Amino acid sequence: MQRGSTLEQLPLGADGQRVAIDNARKSLGTIILGKDEKISLSMACLLARGHLLIEDLPGLGKTMLAQALARVLGLSYQRIQFTSDLLPADIVGVSIFRQSDGEFKFQPGPVFAQLVLADEVNRATPKAQSALLEAMEEQQVSVDGQTHALPEPFFVVATQNPSDQIGTFPLPESQLDRFLMRLELGYPNEESERALITGRDRRQMLEEIEATLSPELVTELQEAVEKVHMSGPLVDYVQALVRFTRESPDIETGLSPRGSLALVAAAKAHAFILHHSGVFPDDVQAVFAAVAGHRLKPASGSSYRSPGELSRHVLDSVAIP
Amino acid sequence: MVKRTGTDGSLLASLPWTLAALAFSLAPHVQFLPVWITVAFLACAGWRWDIERHRRALPRPWLRVVLALVCFLGVLASYESVSGVGPGSALLAIMAALKLLETRKRRDQFVLLFISIFLVMASLLREQYLWSLPYLILAVVLTMTAWLRMSLADDGGETSVKQSFKTAGRLMLYATPLMLAMWILFPRIATPFWAIPVDTSSATSGLSDRMSPGDISSLSLSDAVAFRVKFDGDAPDPIDRYWRGLVLYRFNGRTWSGWEPIMARSAREELLVAGEPVRYQVTMEPTRQQWVFALDIPFEWSRSEIFMGPQHQLAKEQPIDQRMAYQATSYTRYQITPKMTSYSRTRYTRLPAKSNPRTVELAQSMRRASEDDESFAKAVLQRFHEEEYFYTLRPPALGSNPVDRFMFDTRRGFCEHYASAFAVMMRAVGIPSRIVLGYQGGEMNPMGRYLIVRQADAHAWTEIWLPNRGWHRVDPTAAVAPERIEFGITGAMLSGIAASWGLAAPIAFVHRMGLTWDALNAKWNDWILGYGPDKQDSFLEWLGMDEPDWRKMMLTLTFLIAALVGLISLVLMMRYRPPPKDHAALLYKKFTRKAGLVPNCGETPQDYASRLGQDGEELAAGADRVTAQYLSARYGPPNPAAMDLLRAAVAGFKN
Repeated sequence: MQRGSTLEQLPLGADGQRVAIDNARKSLGTIILGKDEKISLSMACLLARGHLLIEDLPGLGKTMLAQALARVLGLSYQRIQFTSDLLPADIVGVSIFRQSDGEFKFQPGPVFAQLVLADEVNRATPKAQSALLEAMEEQQVSVDGQTHALPEPFFVVATQNPSDQIGTFPLPESQLDRFLMRLELGYPNEESERALITGRDRRQMLEEIEATLSPELVTELQEAVEKVHMSGPLVDYVQALVRFTRESPDIETGLSPRGSLALVAAAKAHAFILHHSGVFPDDVQAVFAAVAGHRLKPASGSSYRSPGELSRHVLDSVAIP
Repeated sequence: MVKRTGTDGSLLASLPWTLAALAFSLAPHVQFLPVWITVAFLACAGWRWDIERHRRALPRPWLRVVLALVCFLGVLASYESVSGVGPGSALLAIMAALKLLETRKRRDQFVLLFISIFLVMASLLREQYLWSLPYLILAVVLTMTAWLRMSLADDGGETSVKQSFKTAGRLMLYATPLMLAMWILFPRIATPFWAIPVDTSSATSGLSDRMSPGDISSLSLSDAVAFRVKFDGDAPDPIDRYWRGLVLYRFNGRTWSGWEPIMARSAREELLVAGEPVRYQVTMEPTRQQWVFALDIPFEWSRSEIFMGPQHQLAKEQPIDQRMAYQATSYTRYQITPKMTSYSRTRYTRLPAKSNPRTVELAQSMRRASEDDESFAKAVLQRFHEEEYFYTLRPPALGSNPVDRFMFDTRRGFCEHYASAFAVMMRAVGIPSRIVLGYQGGEMNPMGRYLIVRQADAHAWTEIWLPNRGWHRVDPTAAVAPERIEFGITGAMLSGIAASWGLAAPIAFVHRMGLTWDALNAKWNDWILGYGPDKQDSFLEWLGMDEPDWRKMMLTLTFLIAALVGLISLVLMMRYRPPPKDHAALLYKKFTRKAGLVPNCGETPQDYASRLGQDGEELAAGADRVTAQYLSARYGPPNPAAMDLLRAAVAGFKN
């Protein structure tokens, strides 16, 4: 386990929270180059107590982002490589009979960590997938009739290769709903790529990076996020967006109430990270694609094929009240 | 031909309420209306509901015209008239039924609900009982509820039925002060030119103007109130409570009858009165007859249309169709001393030849044994008292020569039998005699301190003419059953004495409840229904208006209505909270106008600012400043300072 040992374990207060957030973003920015927006979104996802799904081609820094998050936030980290022969027990753990004690003892699986990277989650069978999803949903694991609570905070970053690759079980739509956000990292820009090539080894840098937060402080921040002010006009805006997704002929299934709750939670976290005095329309727009993209199903006749396009269409069509 | 389309089902939600309101308002009329009208209404209501539910077409116009014509002729045939309360409410019910068949829109529903209100008012033209008041108020509230449900269905709002009921009740409460002001102040006019036409066909209640003892074998004792009396001082003793009604003097051997009410100017001059006067106010229930009841013997009375007849009975010029109140002064010690002309003597002593011979013979033999007329009368009373004569309310029927049968065979009867027999005995020996019909007794209501005289208190007694005393009251019933006179029918019933007459004692508790209810009704009659010009004048004077006249009333009323409406409007205005003005949004709009760049749909303030900022550094800085202030003022926590900062930023922004 890795912990931010250099930090005082005291509540930060509003100013301390600002500094801690900024430091964390800065630290992450030194590892993941040119992806400030994605870094903010993934932090927002964590602070909104959600789970993150990163969907992209291999080699774009998914694992790096997860590892960096764990280090900077001072969270314990486990990585589970999903393969087609992965069993649920490989995720949640097993009860082992101990000869010496003469009784069964629960051996926690890799899911018992504050930040769990579920790598290439679409490679495993649905059975193994649902073991993870259940743990995410329940915040606990049941083995042999015994319930074991997962650590706090508990944050899953799942990665998934685009499903047109061979030998995968893409997550069904109903399961996608469990993830607060879905991100696509995309290629770095020219400048960042150049810095990446010429710079130091990222793995080594990761080893040296200092934790700026701790699990306790993350919990504190999560609580602070919930208190971010939401004004009447902003609620109107969220409602208008949700109504549009339900009424638009381009969208087959609009946002569910759970979807609108997710939108609000993510927008609050985003506003918190950017030190906004309340949730601004910009916050809603910033998280909208990540939160709503995997929850909207385009209608068959629609000209908007990708979730990104569809999200953009929604945002451009709804006036900000 | 025009294609007929079905209804659009838009009334589906509100129509049941309208139907319920109509049915509720119509219900009090049903007992008076011909059955076919109720059936027609129910049929139309059912038909209309079916049309709405299955989205069928409404009946064609020609069919509706035919139906209207048929119904109109039906009313004409049922009543042989189209004016008056009966035909009027029948037409109203028909109107409601037929209007249903052309109800297509909200406008038509309005008309239906107006008809519902009209039906409620029409039932007040018929009856104005206190007990029907809650029902009628409920009917109005239901109509208002139907109204609210209708407006609601149109506006697409969702409110619970309970809420609608509450709102309707509240509206009624709002209207109450206005209603009171109008009721108190609207000028009452002495001769009501809007007088309600009364159905003269209704059965009469009260005393019959003829009397045939023996024809009916049992007396129906109705609890119905004949009149109520409020005495100015103490009430007279029970044995003096003879309420004079009409006088019968013609006898054909079995039936006594009298004059039609006529005025006799000299009648009052024949009265000699002594002792303390008894002053009182009588509130008489309508009898549809002209006779007016007063304590024996009335000497002064309040209404000019009441007059005294030749036999000292009071009557009114027109039949008493509505509850009538009048003041009167009576003396219980009096003498009636008209001249007994030979013509009058013949009239008051005539007996049909060969009728009731045994009684005539008995009277003559008894007269021979007596000294004078007075002692003879006493002897007859003595005979009733001592021999086996019984007072009963269920006597046997008598057949021909009823007085003979009664005197010698059955010996059972009530006041009519004894009065008749006594009068016949007197006439048989040439003593002028006549029968007085009226009421005797009555019950003091301790709740309201007034006397209730019921139909059951109806009584018949005799007056005989004695040379030195004039007409002298003799009540032979008192000789047989003194309790009947001393306690009255109700008193006798309550004490159980009346059990031997065939009357069971009522349950005391129920009787007390009845008295309380009667006291309430008396107040209702007195103050609500009896609020006429006189009451209004005295009440307004009591309220402080000098010499009230209709000009002052209308002026005050107009002023009061204006004040009340103003007050209610003021209260509503004060309670109205306009949605708070979004100053930040308005300021931001001003900023975008100043910037001269229209924000795109869905463009966030920050995106807008950066789009604006492409045109120059300075502009970008200004736009950023405004945007930052705008965002925190509008989307941040409430903070008045932020608004001022935004105002300053917008004011300082230059393009």
